[in-house]
Amino acid sequence: MSGGAELVRGAALIKRFGGIVANDAVEFAVVAGDLVGLIGPNGSGKTTLINMLTGHLAPDGGDVVVRGREMTDQPAHVYAAMGVARTFQLTQLFGRMTVLENLLVPGLTRPHSTWQVAERRARDTLDFLKLAHLEQLHAKNLSGGQQKLLELGRCLMLEPAILFLDEPFAGVHPRLRDELIERILELHKAGRTFVVVDHDMESILRVSQRLVVMARGRKIADGPPPEVRTDQAVLAAYAGL
Amino acid sequence: MRGFHVYILLATAALALVFADRLSSYWMHVAIIAMFYGILASSWSLLAGYVGLFSLGHMAFASIGGYASGLLVQWYGIPIPLGMAAGVALCCALGGLIGWVCLRMSGPYLAIFTLGFAEIVRIILATEDDITSGMAGLHVQRLFDTPSRLPYFYTAFALLAVSLLLLGGMVRSRWGLFLRAIREDEQAASASGVAVARFRILAFAIASGFAGLAGGFYGHYIGILTPSLGGLDLMALLVVMTVIGGMERLPTAVGGAFVVEFLLEVLRGYGQWRLPLFGIVLLLTMRFARNGLLTPLWLKFVQLGEPQAAAAIAARDVPQKDPAQ
Amino acid sequence: MSWDYLFVQVANGAVIGIIYALIAVGVTLIFSILKIVNFAHGDLYMLGGYCAYYIITLLGIPPLAAMFLSMAAIFVLAIILERLLLTPLYDDATERKDEYGLIVTFGLAFFLRNAAVMAFGPYPLKPPSFIPGVQQLGGLTVTNDRLFAGGVGIVLILALLYFMHRTIWGQALDAVSQSRESAAIVGINAQRFNSFAFGIGAALAAAAGALIAPIFSLAPDMGVLPNIHAFVIVILGGMGSVLGSILAGLLLGEAENLFTAFFPDPTRALAYTNAFGLLVLMIVLVLRPQGFFGRRHLRME
Repeated sequence: MSGGAELVRGAALIKRFGGIVANDAVEFAVVAGDLVGLIGPNGSGKTTLINMLTGHLAPDGGDVVVRGREMTDQPAHVYAAMGVARTFQLTQLFGRMTVLENLLVPGLTRPHSTWQVAERRARDTLDFLKLAHLEQLHAKNLSGGQQKLLELGRCLMLEPAILFLDEPFAGVHPRLRDELIERILELHKAGRTFVVVDHDMESILRVSQRLVVMARGRKIADGPPPEVRTDQAVLAAYAGL
Repeated sequence: MRGFHVYILLATAALALVFADRLSSYWMHVAIIAMFYGILASSWSLLAGYVGLFSLGHMAFASIGGYASGLLVQWYGIPIPLGMAAGVALCCALGGLIGWVCLRMSGPYLAIFTLGFAEIVRIILATEDDITSGMAGLHVQRLFDTPSRLPYFYTAFALLAVSLLLLGGMVRSRWGLFLRAIREDEQAASASGVAVARFRILAFAIASGFAGLAGGFYGHYIGILTPSLGGLDLMALLVVMTVIGGMERLPTAVGGAFVVEFLLEVLRGYGQWRLPLFGIVLLLTMRFARNGLLTPLWLKFVQLGEPQAAAAIAARDVPQKDPAQ
Repeated sequence: MSWDYLFVQVANGAVIGIIYALIAVGVTLIFSILKIVNFAHGDLYMLGGYCAYYIITLLGIPPLAAMFLSMAAIFVLAIILERLLLTPLYDDATERKDEYGLIVTFGLAFFLRNAAVMAFGPYPLKPPSFIPGVQQLGGLTVTNDRLFAGGVGIVLILALLYFMHRTIWGQALDAVSQSRESAAIVGINAQRFNSFAFGIGAALAAAAGALIAPIFSLAPDMGVLPNIHAFVIVILGGMGSVLGSILAGLLLGEAENLFTAFFPDPTRALAYTNAFGLLVLMIVLVLRPQGFFGRRHLRME
């Protein structure tokens, strides 16, 4: 576990949808330098948690604190401005805008940004993701794997301290998936914090120094992967699938 | 040469200004009305084409701008430009308010809501006839006392030019990117740091302001205003013009307004057939050329002197595939 | 103000309400199956009225039969329009389907309205009564046509509810509205149901038009206000809820009628009655964009 400043904390987060409690008093804190894998059976509330921690969903109870600042009722773009970036389970891009423009949008929301600087940063990011040759393509024409990479690029343009990746490996070709994992590890080494949600255990274990498990809206384990994987409660939760 | 098409446009505009006095009074009127619709089409395209907010209240704002200016000038004797400015300010404020109220509404709901708003405005203007003279029409002081329409031509031209400069500037700035991002995917835009609510309200305020400007000019040009200015018939015509031209770009929107207005006059001999005909053209456009009929022409026009541009534009649409599993 | 006056007002309001409900049910049906708001619905109502008129005057067919023939004709017309214009909605390649449905039906409305002016002339026409004469209640009169319109309207609504609830076609329709994929798995051809739904919605609107024509006469723009009212009703009752549309339709019809009857300033009453409905609409949209019963799929209670 790394011992940096606390970036995002969710305290006693509750979310209900109709009669279902998607998140039941969840406590979740991420510290700078963390590399967290968030796993759990389907319907355990992982995406709901991420939505609340990134400002896309208002909790019914509990608080979200980002870098020491209370975030009640703040819209998602404020989180983004504070360096909290996220990708979506089903990639959400600006389909009829070019790949470059997709990166310019977050680039230009940065305070004091200029077109020149934003364009340069965007092109650097495309180089990093090996998508530079697709710069002028409309984003909707990218392949599935390329779209995931572009979404990651969109996060990076926000100069984020922390990135929440929601199922980045789902349906991605193994070769591109390895690319993605390499990028994540590179970025982590360079100082970025990650919380990765996915079902692909093999991939998650490659990008986790800390494993958090959710089941039925509750956090049931939180610790180093070897411990968590042998935790009785976790095994029970998965066995009940 | 880059931007060659801009020179052509400037040259055309200069020619239009220089030779305007050769137009007959009738065709000058047609040109003025075309420019009036040009302001409305471009501002509506900002709202519906760039941000994706399909508002049916646009003509209602033109109406509000017109009546506000006309009445203020009548009651307080202020100079007309001041009256028009007041109309614009009122429309900006009211437009922003409507934009705020509509924040949670999407597509059809927004359309229905703004339609309701437009109808309420029309009903009030028609019913409170001691103030507005209702259906009989409000007499509005004209801008110029001359029998010639030429000063109105120049005024409309100036207003259209200013509108396009301002709207164009906005669209080419980072704001333009943000607006388009909102239309593509609001959630992704928000996650990218775009203050979605703020921009939706801003877009409504700005677009409505321009509508109010157009309406104000219209009142002080024609000299009379009726509540039907904000009615569904003219709003539908505006939609027809903008969509046929191409609602996603300012030049094609204005082009659509010009072309349809021009054709409406040319086909006047066919009386009632004109409007259903344009209805069919609209349906065909949506079905087979959804980007608008003028869009391919405009894209070719922009590429003049730049042969590589064509290839670049075509390159935008090459589907990519993941390597085989 | 006497009880008789009140009774007549309530009765009139009920008749208007039933007609509104007929129109609104069509909008909600089309929304739940095709997932679009049909901006041309009021003009299908208008065409239904004109169609019945010409069937009566040109073919000499009695009014009630003419209504059914008009329903059939508009049903066929609607299916043709759906095949011609709305098939892109079922194509995955089509983007922004909401916007497409909006603009296309809006454009269709524009076309139909103006074509009607051209074809039928701008002056109001009045078809002959279904049942000539009036009923006397105390000192006040209610025309037979109003009672007939209300009665037939109720029958049609009940027939629709029976169809949706008790017949295999109706249940299939509900299945499609809930999930096209699941419906396909059990062998329902969803494409056909789109046409079918559009046709039924249009036929109901046509019936409303034919029923109301002898009472208020026909004009090419007669569909504009009812269209807006239909939206008010569908949103109040919830997009996709048939029962919601019926109840909200009756409620709005009554509310409007009573509003007109009791508004302090008689010269403004009629104009502001429409504004009243719109204000309700706007308030509901702000508070609850899905209406009060709303769900995206058809509800058949």
